Amino acid sequence: MRLDKLTEMQIDALREIGSIGAGHAATALSQLVGHPISIDVPTLEIVGIGDVPELFGGPEVLVAAVHVRLLGDIGGSMLFMAERTSALALVDLMHARAVGSARSYGADEEALLTHVASILMSAYLAAVGRLADVSMLPARPSSALDMAGALMEAVTSAAALHADVALLLRTRFHDADTSVDAYLFFLPDPEALDLLLGRLGVA
Amino acid sequence: MDTSALEMGADPLHVIVGVGEIACAHEPEVLVTQALGSCIGLTLWDPRLCIGGMAHVMLPASPAGDFTGRRHRFADLAVPELVEEMLRLGAGRHRMIAKIAGGAAMFKGDSGMDTIGKRNATAVIEQLEKCGLTVRAADTGGSHARTIELHMNSGVLLVRSYTFGMREI
Repeated sequence: MRLDKLTEMQIDALREIGSIGAGHAATALSQLVGHPISIDVPTLEIVGIGDVPELFGGPEVLVAAVHVRLLGDIGGSMLFMAERTSALALVDLMHARAVGSARSYGADEEALLTHVASILMSAYLAAVGRLADVSMLPARPSSALDMAGALMEAVTSAAALHADVALLLRTRFHDADTSVDAYLFFLPDPEALDLLLGRLGVA
Repeated sequence: MDTSALEMGADPLHVIVGVGEIACAHEPEVLVTQALGSCIGLTLWDPRLCIGGMAHVMLPASPAGDFTGRRHRFADLAVPELVEEMLRLGAGRHRMIAKIAGGAAMFKGDSGMDTIGKRNATAVIEQLEKCGLTVRAADTGGSHARTIELHMNSGVLLVRSYTFGMREI
């Protein structure tokens, strides 16, 4: 099974799981930071790996990224990416302070963003795992701030991915005042996707 | 750093080489490949003719059997074919100056990913040696992304990154 062959029903099923995962992640993050944060997954799309840098405005645009390898029944990768200013806004959102307070993406900001991304990814994997009855465990997250093209390329070449497309869950974090957009990419191995869809009853 | 410092103007003389592509150019063109992470940017330049070639290599070796996608993303196909293309354009095998950049470990802390950049660099150097060429200058490794430009009049390879700004090799 290839990602680009997914039907509308299969995409709906995966988006629904994404929303459930995002709901759990929002609860977890609200507990962590002590004030309410919501997360929506407005759309789930299939995107070409080569088109990803254009989502940010070009291959050289500076983005913050968090990557985890997937272990267990479903092999592959998850990659969280946010354009630099969005990453800083997300840090401010977590601290419940005005956007623009965080000015540079240093070690503290990177650690916080890694934590946030890792909660979001774990919640998504837990939701998928529960519905599909598969074990999906995230390996230790690793992070970077650099050119969008280089980060995506490093993830795909390290996995020597046969796939040239990824599932993109557009993710919107918000509280009463602020809303921040980020991108979560799910890159399951092709054989793992078959197993997953079969277990979800939408193969 | 201000991101605009790295943004590329739509200069008609800039020949952009995409991931997994090879290309050759003449003076006054500039060969450019953007956002090398673990990939290797290889450049060849002939000082007599002022012509050059560039490859953006993603993986060390092509898989056995059929595969889809760009064949020049593999070092074992891209390197000999770029050398051939330069020779076809009249470049001298012993005049050509080879330089490489890239091969970074973009995400620190992941054991699987750490080695791919290094393996790419090794594969490109080995393939060059098979073609009778050695690397004259290199800016590889580290954990930062690079954009490179090969200037045909001088053979200078400009390496740009957020971490170090501009470097010439």
